[in-house]
Amino acid sequence: MIIQEGMSIQRKLEILSDAAKFDVACTSSGVDRKGNGAGIGNSLACGICHTFSADGRCISLLKILFTNECIFDCKYCINRSSNDVVRASFTPEEVCELTMEFYRRNYIEGLFLSSGIMVSPNHTMELILDALRMLREEHHFNGYIHCKAIPGTDPVLVEAIGWYADRMSANLELPTASSLKQLAPHKSRKNILKPMRQIQLRRESNNEYLGIYDGRQPAGNKVESLLLKDDNSGRSDSVYNKVINSYNQKPHKANDYPIDKKENDFDVDLPNSNKIIPYRKSPTGRSRYVPAGQSTQMIIGATNESDYNIMSVSETLYDNFDLKRVFYSAFVNVNDDSNLPSTVSGPPLLREHRLYQADWLLRFYGFKMTELLNEKNPNFNVLLDPKCDWALKNLEQFPVEVNKASYYTLLRVPGIGVNSARRITAARKSAVLDFKDLKAMGIVLKRAVYFITCNGRMMYPIKLNEDFITRELLAVKDRLPFGIEKDITYKQLSLFDDRRFQTDDRLILQQFSHA
Amino acid sequence: MNNFKIFQCENSIDGIFTAIYQAWSSGYGHANVKIEEQCERNNYNNIELFSEYIFVKTNLEQAIMVSRSIKSKISLEAYEMVCRVALSDYKGKGDLIYRFLILGFHIGSKIVGHLSNKVVNQVFMLNRYVNGEAHHLLGFIRFSEQENGILTATIHPKNNVISLVTPHFADRLPNERFVIFDKNRDICSLHLPGKPWIIAEFPDMDSSGYDIPVDNEYESLWKIFFDNIAIKERVNPKLQRNNLPIRFRKDMTEFEYV
Ligand code: SF4
Repeated sequence: MIIQEGMSIQRKLEILSDAAKFDVACTSSGVDRKGNGAGIGNSLACGICHTFSADGRCISLLKILFTNECIFDCKYCINRSSNDVVRASFTPEEVCELTMEFYRRNYIEGLFLSSGIMVSPNHTMELILDALRMLREEHHFNGYIHCKAIPGTDPVLVEAIGWYADRMSANLELPTASSLKQLAPHKSRKNILKPMRQIQLRRESNNEYLGIYDGRQPAGNKVESLLLKDDNSGRSDSVYNKVINSYNQKPHKANDYPIDKKENDFDVDLPNSNKIIPYRKSPTGRSRYVPAGQSTQMIIGATNESDYNIMSVSETLYDNFDLKRVFYSAFVNVNDDSNLPSTVSGPPLLREHRLYQADWLLRFYGFKMTELLNEKNPNFNVLLDPKCDWALKNLEQFPVEVNKASYYTLLRVPGIGVNSARRITAARKSAVLDFKDLKAMGIVLKRAVYFITCNGRMMYPIKLNEDFITRELLAVKDRLPFGIEKDITYKQLSLFDDRRFQTDDRLILQQFSHA
Repeated sequence: MNNFKIFQCENSIDGIFTAIYQAWSSGYGHANVKIEEQCERNNYNNIELFSEYIFVKTNLEQAIMVSRSIKSKISLEAYEMVCRVALSDYKGKGDLIYRFLILGFHIGSKIVGHLSNKVVNQVFMLNRYVNGEAHHLLGFIRFSEQENGILTATIHPKNNVISLVTPHFADRLPNERFVIFDKNRDICSLHLPGKPWIIAEFPDMDSSGYDIPVDNEYESLWKIFFDNIAIKERVNPKLQRNNLPIRFRKDMTEFEYV
């Protein structure tokens, strides 16, 4: 291991930002917090992008590793212990200085601190805790902080860090426990899920204590906690303890959901309650525990799970672990490891894109994963986005009447997104909408025309014939992010061929070549 | 050829509201009047020969009366929408606001939902446009620290968004002295700790001294970070340009190259 003494902060930043770049989550979203008039900083729930790096990704946070030293040897990672790379570590003071000075100049929304593992998970997390505590308490930093939970960290440290961070994330890394074992021999599914469950339970108890409900809590608990909230000033111990006790005894909501054990190996033993007794008052004077919730990340294309495997995991994480976001990171073979897939012709960006599209459908469009994929049809269509693909397989549900269809029905129409659906439901309150009205409202009809009626009429008299619509939809260019199109070379298409082109898609391809 | 009475006014919320007040109470009838704000982009090539131009001197009392009636007879939401239209660079915004208010006073607070109406839709779209630029700038504004500790930033926005972005920074940086210059309009906003922020005009002020970077250490650290955080295997200038239009870059530290 190469460790340089007395390295300049410039050099450290160079190494430790470069080493952090594969962590995808760079959002500063999920928490609204006004400035407190004294320190520095506030936060907007929608998040703010401060700039975009050469790869076109949003930069919102100072995303760095605390150290790139590491005792683990994850095959996909440039910092793995078996690699001979220059190692560097910040001090907590340096992390504070960079965060504060960047923040004042409006370069960033806050800090995203991840890390390799120096000495031990606990040793590393203690240093990170120091940095966070200094930022919040000495520098009165009130901006956004996202902090990594390193697998294997003592729950007491996770508990403490959660009071300083806005968001925490334990990366799942790979979709199945077996590929994790294969590629990250020092990590285990259980060690990753443990802090995730701990943070989830802790957030729920904190929210309950504060009387904050995000729709997931059983309504019955509301009364008691609201009482507590009103009783803010003279909080009586007995009421408080009652809530804590009832919290500890209650069979936990998170376990009420059936977990698809076969698919996801989520059947590891996880606690029903975190045995840690919540602090009466947060030690930090802050009232909310990880207010922006948790996220996680999976590497896509390093192992041979199907899209179906991956999306099942995501759905489980959203439903059972209350995650706010699951991120997908197209695998880049940074170590030129011959045991892992080559990415010389580019990382699997299109696949990553399809997964994000589907993820979106789960989170905002009311889709269930099983509507999009199943065991017989386990991968997304290369040529069509997941919603178009779904619509073509479910033509009997169309066309829908724009003036009557519910918001969620409108969302299922190809080409109609959240903004368009909202505009339609607002506008039809005051007028009966026709196609020209939709156009005037700026709603893009290119795809939607085949699936909607206005006053019972379609825009063109078309029969709902799958072949015809498929051809028309393929003619409308898929709005892929720039730069992805050129990445689908014929070579890649043929690589995809065996796994990704199921019978339906072959048909589509044939039609394509006839056209 | 129609004979319009054209009410020409200052390019500001108060100017437009005054013109609306006077046009409305002139008795010529909505169909015969037009509002025309004076803006840099109007080159007066299309002066209408047969129309009568009426010059409107901004009158705060009349402007306040208009804003009050919008708030009470339509809604606060509609008022804010109209203000953002008035801050936009859309030519003809004065008349658009006038047409919107005619509908609004007739229909009431529900007017903002009438998106299939052309006027309402235009107001809606302009709101997204102005809000979009303001939101961009919340992230893209770059402060440099001057020798005296003051933070200064320069912007060249299409719309007059300085009053929309400054409150965010006053809330975020309560203990900083900062100035944001809008070089397209020769105005700036000023913030001092513990005081309400203000907007000032500086047509003749020489702000060139503030362009000299004094701030090298953290600026170069920021550039180091910016260059290293990109994934080389995914470099994608088109996507970058789509997300961060070139026009913003001249005011952004990480895109300054010597
Ligand atoms: S734990 Fe694994 S992924 Fe994390 S830095 Fe170490 S080697 Fe890389």
